Amino acid sequence: MGKGYGPGMDAADIALLETAPLVDIDALPDLLGWTLKPEGLCRDDTCVIVPNRSSIERDGKVDLAAVAGLLDRPVVVDETAQLVAIGASREQRRSAVNDLRAPDFQLPDLDGTWHALSDHRSKKRLLVAFSSW
Amino acid sequence: MDGITYPVLLDKDHVVTELYAISNVPTVILIDGDDTIVQPNWNAYATDTFKEFTGIESSNQLDAIRRWVIDGDVMMDAEAARTAVGDLSADEEAARLHFRLANHLRTNGDEVGSERHFDRACGLAPHDWTIRRASMPLRGGDPFGAEFFELYEEFNAAGRPYHGVITERP
Repeated sequence: MGKGYGPGMDAADIALLETAPLVDIDALPDLLGWTLKPEGLCRDDTCVIVPNRSSIERDGKVDLAAVAGLLDRPVVVDETAQLVAIGASREQRRSAVNDLRAPDFQLPDLDGTWHALSDHRSKKRLLVAFSSW
Repeated sequence: MDGITYPVLLDKDHVVTELYAISNVPTVILIDGDDTIVQPNWNAYATDTFKEFTGIESSNQLDAIRRWVIDGDVMMDAEAARTAVGDLSADEEAARLHFRLANHLRTNGDEVGSERHFDRACGLAPHDWTIRRASMPLRGGDPFGAEFFELYEEFNAAGRPYHGVITERP
């Protein structure tokens, strides 16, 4: 399945992965946008230190749940269905809740056209979350 | 609103409720041009349709929005805004992931697996309308039926928890 939610978001934001939690190290960048390197878990210019390598890596495999934990992201694994759901980093949500920085997101309209909050940057924006149930 | 167009977006996996810690709708957020949230999660209404349930007068809220748009007048200072929304608990985070898994399994025809995750989601966040009420129609229930009133009573008994601000501007 598409890993992220929208063309500009990838699994580094919010992910629902169709896989068992143990994956090949080489598959990690494609699945989650992070790469396991000697210096740690890296994405673009950012690296997160892995204090205990054996806690996330065994025999060439990495545990996605442990990786999520290191990235301070919530995770739920369904072993039966072979699904791994990984949420946004808590730091990102705290940036909204406590630092008042609006996180960007992308969602489709009824016609399937994607819209991002950042499409309207520099304008005042009224965001309404509603439901018709 | 006459003459105003705006995109209406579908969020079937509840991405926004996770990113902004939203637990009920409608939740309104005012965001400045520089991405600063000037009014965090706010239970505001464009009409008085639900006034009987909420006791909230929409015209006051519309006036407040108008004053922000026209005069840049905000309802809370930054200090108050920073503490206005309680962060999601670990259970509420997990509930969102279970909701997403339930949705995914339902779409793929695994009803048993889907129900298991919906049960978990609702157990973890029993007073979260974006989880529990939103799950009702997806599970073949009636979001306006007996289940709704059961949730409404439990929600009231729990003190009507909400991640955000429930106020009218005087």
